[in-house]
Amino acid sequence: MKKDPIDATGTNGSRSFNRDIAEIPLANSDHTIPKNNNALRNNSNQSNLSTLSGKSSNNPFRIKLELQQPTPFTPDNLAEEQEEPDSDFEIDEDELFSDDDDIFINNLDQSFNDLNISTSLNDNKIINEGGVPNLKYDCLTTNELYDRMLLRVEKIKPILDISKDDIILLMQRYNWNEEKLLESWADQREHIIEDVGLSSNNDGTNKFKNNNPFRDNSLQSRENYLCPICYEEKDCTTFKLECNHEFCTDCYQRYIKNKLSDGNIITCMSCSLALKNNDIDIIMGNNDSSNILMNSSIKSFIQKNNKAFKWCPYTDCQCIIHFKDTLYLSEFKRLHCSPFVTCKNSHKFCFSCGFESHSPADCDITNAWVKKTRNESDYLNWVLSNTKECPKCNVNIEKNGGCNHMKCSSCKYEFCWICDGPWAPHGTSYYECTQYKNEKDKDKDSNSSNDDKKLKKFTFYYRIFNEHEMSAKLDWKLGQTVSQNVYQLQEKLGLSWIEGQFLTDSLKVLNEGRTALKWSFAVAYYSDQSHNLTKIFMDNQALLSHAVESLSEMLTEKNPKILMEKKNEFFNKTGYVENRKHALLECGRDLLCKGICKPK
Amino acid sequence: MASLPKRIIKETERLISDPVPGITAQPHEDNLRYFSVTIEGPKDSAYENGVFELELFLPDDYPMEAPKVRFLTKIYHPNIDRLGRICLDVLKNNWSPALQIRTVLLSIQALLASPNPNDPLANDVAEDWIKNEKGAIAKAKEWTKLYASKK
Ligand SMILES: [Zn+2]
Ligand SMILES: [Zn+2]
Ligand SMILES: [Zn+2]
Ligand SMILES: [Zn+2]
Ligand SMILES: [Zn+2]
Ligand SMILES: [Zn+2]
Repeated sequence: MKKDPIDATGTNGSRSFNRDIAEIPLANSDHTIPKNNNALRNNSNQSNLSTLSGKSSNNPFRIKLELQQPTPFTPDNLAEEQEEPDSDFEIDEDELFSDDDDIFINNLDQSFNDLNISTSLNDNKIINEGGVPNLKYDCLTTNELYDRMLLRVEKIKPILDISKDDIILLMQRYNWNEEKLLESWADQREHIIEDVGLSSNNDGTNKFKNNNPFRDNSLQSRENYLCPICYEEKDCTTFKLECNHEFCTDCYQRYIKNKLSDGNIITCMSCSLALKNNDIDIIMGNNDSSNILMNSSIKSFIQKNNKAFKWCPYTDCQCIIHFKDTLYLSEFKRLHCSPFVTCKNSHKFCFSCGFESHSPADCDITNAWVKKTRNESDYLNWVLSNTKECPKCNVNIEKNGGCNHMKCSSCKYEFCWICDGPWAPHGTSYYECTQYKNEKDKDKDSNSSNDDKKLKKFTFYYRIFNEHEMSAKLDWKLGQTVSQNVYQLQEKLGLSWIEGQFLTDSLKVLNEGRTALKWSFAVAYYSDQSHNLTKIFMDNQALLSHAVESLSEMLTEKNPKILMEKKNEFFNKTGYVENRKHALLECGRDLLCKGICKPK
Repeated sequence: MASLPKRIIKETERLISDPVPGITAQPHEDNLRYFSVTIEGPKDSAYENGVFELELFLPDDYPMEAPKVRFLTKIYHPNIDRLGRICLDVLKNNWSPALQIRTVLLSIQALLASPNPNDPLANDVAEDWIKNEKGAIAKAKEWTKLYASKK
């Protein structure tokens, strides 16, 4: 097995680069899309999906491969999650997250940096996504989070001197904030004990003080027992806490099942005495129930601390991103960049707004854009449908195939599907079309109303945005095929896994380039068209587009052997895309920082 | 329809044989989980002399889930909204299977006796209540006369 691919690639690299890259599977299985697809996806994309999927072969603009399925923008959950957390709630993060986490994060950072450097071939690019302080975050699952909570419980156990189950109850009541708990514990111990349901009013705290040695809360077999909940008189097992409120287990099980998903403390059906995890499992006859309850409790903990904790918005992804220093978030906003985080499953999303990685657009532009597309969704639906009126004779023309070069069957007028303009100036350069010119438009549409023009402008940009989103999706499928081919080839030729990694790399960069290109149209839309920097930005779009196109063309190669032989060329083109992407991102940020691009 | 749980049968029997003063609850013949309820306005309250009609429904999961209760008669009360929905803890978080239809109705009666504008459901009414309690009570009396008079 060849251990060192650095020579083969002829580029810089480090051992960690190889190791880290190798950990990213070629055929990425995370082809899921965010859980909360927005209205746009539900409404308008339905039709254009079919439109666009039909045009893969003869569109020169199309990129053929990608590492993972691009994520359509916009999980909606951000809106729900953005309610203010309890203002008085603060966690001692250092307590909560030990030093091991930092090591983990540093490794993560390291691997991402390595990845960037390796693909950019550009040593002077130190900034990631726009020159902001390095992100300190942590990716956890609910179970891992719970395990950490248990560690915290162990830590405070000697201070409180009560059982673990009791502490878990207290922690639930105090939203897993042990500082607050310890504070209250010192001041008003008796009150807390009662409040949490560790002892009942009538019994006083005596039983509790004994640390419940006589707590006789096991199941009992009873004959002809009349349960005060179901009123059934029957032979059954019953359960009671020290309050002596006894009920049949059927009723208790139904009762508990109903409450597990709330994540709150579950009490006796008749009084405020709490059921501990152990009680719950005894009644339910399994260990799962208290686990479910703890899971729900952790979930509500995350919801209440949504400034620092966010769920990965991708479907079926259980990852939780824990942001270490939320103070930085405002800094990001000020600099017009966004805190993109990546979960353990390589899902990248914006920690602030929850959308997919959306640079060069900042969160404001992204939200404005998404809102606009939602408002216009009916119209867009129509625009993106398969038919269109010929701009000359108004006959309905159906679009078939991918090419945007349209020819009216009635009057033979040749025009561009994207901009409605005559095809002739487009020539062979598809990209000419993104050079949306207000001046041109003025001449063309001098009669149409201002609103009409505005909508037209928006439609134009949305079309291209959408184009990129849709093609990225198709590309992902193709990417999988290529990955598989290469994998088989590797098996056959006995190449090391590392040998094919340059493809993974290329696919990833292609995906990112595509996403950046896509969102750059939101930025272009909101930019002052007459400004020189906007023109430069558009030039940058064109350059990235060409770079992406050229890389994608290489990936259309079906023969895996030839693919493998072109390794160096891949490396160069991938690096070029990466550079062009960063140039575009920087230029976009410039537009934002200078106020040339702003949401209207 | 699945057979009625013993619990509901027992409760219904007792509601009829041993009714709560000022409260009636009658199950519908075609749906024994659906009750027509009347509550008399408590003495010395703004609702005195009124008779308020309510509907009460026992969901499938009763008694694990609270009964659903709603005022049918229009009422001016800070904890009852325009649709007759009631803001009452025992109908929500503080519901316990050990509670009964009887206790719920008693709680509603108590709510009529002592409105709680600090935990409002009908915000505008609650605001009135806090700003100008006398005026609000007068309005509640007026509504009681208008909509809840004994026929
Ligand atoms: Zn029972
Ligand atoms: Zn009890
Ligand atoms: Zn994820
Ligand atoms: Zn964002
Ligand atoms: Zn025509
Ligand atoms: Zn065009």
